[in-house]
Amino acid sequence: MASYLVRRLGHMVLTLFAMATLMFFLFRLLPGDPTATVISPSLYPKAQEAMRQQFGLDRPLFEQYLLYLRNLCVLDFGFSFQTNRPVFEMIQGRLLNTLLLILPSMLAAYLIGAVIGAMAAWKRGGGAEVSVVLTATALQSAPLFWLSMLAILLFSIKLDLFPIGHIVTPGLFPEQDWRMYLSLDFLHHLALPFLVNTLYQLCFPLLLMRSTMLSTIGEDYIELARMKGLSERRVLFRHAARNALLPLATTLPMILGWAVAGSVVIETVFSWPGLGLLMIEAISRADYPVAQAAFLLIALLTVLGTFVADLLYGLLDPRIVYD
Amino acid sequence: MDASGSHSLLSISGLSASYSTQRGRASALSEIDLDLGKGENLGLIGESGCGKSTLLKTVMGVMPGNARIDAGSIAFQGRDLVSATAEQRRAVRWAGISMVTQSALNALNPVLSVGDQIAEAILAHRDVSRAEAWRRTQALLAMVGVAPERARDFPHQFSGGMRQRAIIAMALALEPPLVLADEPTTALDVVVQDQIFRSLRELQQRLGFSLLLVTHDLALVIENCERVAVMYAGMIVETGPTRDVIRRPAHPYTLGLKNALPRLGSREEPIAIPGGPPDLVDPPAGCRFAARCPFALLRCHAEPPPLTSIDVGRQARCHRAAEIDTLAPLAALPRTWDALRGQSLDAPSA
Ligand SMILES: Nc1ncnc2c1ncn2[C@@H]1O[C@H](COP(=O)(O)OP(=O)(O)OP(=O)(O)O)[C@@H](O)[C@H]1O
Ligand code: SF4
Ligand SMILES: [Mg+2]
Repeated sequence: MASYLVRRLGHMVLTLFAMATLMFFLFRLLPGDPTATVISPSLYPKAQEAMRQQFGLDRPLFEQYLLYLRNLCVLDFGFSFQTNRPVFEMIQGRLLNTLLLILPSMLAAYLIGAVIGAMAAWKRGGGAEVSVVLTATALQSAPLFWLSMLAILLFSIKLDLFPIGHIVTPGLFPEQDWRMYLSLDFLHHLALPFLVNTLYQLCFPLLLMRSTMLSTIGEDYIELARMKGLSERRVLFRHAARNALLPLATTLPMILGWAVAGSVVIETVFSWPGLGLLMIEAISRADYPVAQAAFLLIALLTVLGTFVADLLYGLLDPRIVYD
Repeated sequence: MDASGSHSLLSISGLSASYSTQRGRASALSEIDLDLGKGENLGLIGESGCGKSTLLKTVMGVMPGNARIDAGSIAFQGRDLVSATAEQRRAVRWAGISMVTQSALNALNPVLSVGDQIAEAILAHRDVSRAEAWRRTQALLAMVGVAPERARDFPHQFSGGMRQRAIIAMALALEPPLVLADEPTTALDVVVQDQIFRSLRELQQRLGFSLLLVTHDLALVIENCERVAVMYAGMIVETGPTRDVIRRPAHPYTLGLKNALPRLGSREEPIAIPGGPPDLVDPPAGCRFAARCPFALLRCHAEPPPLTSIDVGRQARCHRAAEIDTLAPLAALPRTWDALRGQSLDAPSA
């Protein structure tokens, strides 16, 4: 187990290093002069030069790369071209906002999706199953931004049940500190993006759970569990669902990737000040340090998620041995 | 039969069941009559697909979704299971009738420990604490020859023989009066098979359960069962004391089965029964064995034979059961069956 963990951590570091490198060069390949958004061309050439030096934009590419790697190791992401504030500071709060939206909603999506999928399989052939499967398939293939906008149109604009966007009512918490997260206002703002994301993300676990349950139900050990005189509920949850969860755990890393991509969309539509929105904003302003850091953090989230999913799988399946 | 009904443990009568398939309903069980007394062992033999597992699953009440009981009754300890409510049936399962399944290798849930799977059967039927159920589980494992401390192991950590023993321990967990065993040892080698049957017999002497043993293996039936029922295409075609049935079969199909056995110390080649089982979606109008029977008469193709008593405790489903003593010597000749291989012929006159 210990050697497995060490190896697994090594993999993670390598993956992140590769991501960081890729990102560095990708950003340098982007069109446009990054200095243009920060350094007004109307400034004196001397002033422009000074700023270039300040941001290290005048050094050779390779040197910039080494500097970049060294800074990453000490979590120094540099300063935003746009605001001149340290990137790390800007990103902290954004990371928390994203996690608060994505983690609970993924958890809910998995739990609810798995339960509904299991029930659908158990009641197979009925009208309920057919409508659940059709709805999930339709939802899953709908674009997320369209669903989000539809939800805003219906629940925020027409029915006026939820605010249109943002994390709290603007101006209510000028300090933007932790008290904001404990307020009802925050929950009110969280509700709609949470619901939309949960609904969207639960389709995959639901459909997967249903189909694996269907093949599990035909297994001999399910028949034996029935023969033992266990209640249907016990057969369903303890025997069938427990096994059908395995493929769900295997696909978790992939789903996490989708969830992260989805968060960018959700945050943009709902003006949710998370990492995804920050990244979009940073890219549109060619704010390289910020965009890079946001990208890297998103990559880190995905890699960590994969790691957790792996460990989880080992807990679920006794046949897995870590060595 | 009726006179003994009072002490009969399991009494199946007129049981018919079918599967719905794409081509229509397949009559998998047809007019099954079977009696099993307390402490008695009954062997059930017949070729693959004749409905043995279907019969056991019907008795257990775990038929797949496309199966249906069309007629008949299954009386267990005098109470009919077919008309019982789901809750009543659930109570009988395992506590009254337990089953050792055909593929013990897949019958254990891979993600639960073996002990848990035994203990949950106890907990589902008995009002005992988890600790007590676990203690009994360990005692059961010890009883079937598995080290009790292996209870925490998962199925993949068990060998095939151990898994089969675990399933047997599970089947005996509630000391049910009746144990059904569906080819309990087909996946195992002969040595392990012998060991398992030896301990099964010992356990039976101690616990006194009745055993309904399904197998392809006539030798197992001869060793373990005082009575045997022969099934063909969803029907019982012959029943009786094992020794009598094997020595003097009363049905041409049983004669054929006996021929197909490799005979020890004999130079004679085993003779296989030509052809295959009939289509159960559209079964023959007359005797279901007629197409493969070397002794079939015109009447056999038109009229289904009833299951009739031919001796004390012996029944056969054949129009020519009375002439069987003259047919038997012919059935031992490869020529008799060879004639069928080309084309179905009329029976040679007796
Ligand atoms: N779920 C099902 N749906 C449709 N037909 C089925 C189903 N299960 C079994 N059958 C058919 O019913 C007949 C009896 O099958 P069954 O499994 O009872 O045979 P068996 O005697 O146990 O055979 P084996 O010795 O191979 O285990 C076969 O023709 C089989 O194809
Ligand atoms: S009834 Fe006729 S066809 Fe059927 S087994 Fe007897 S002799 Fe053969
Ligand atoms: Mg079978």
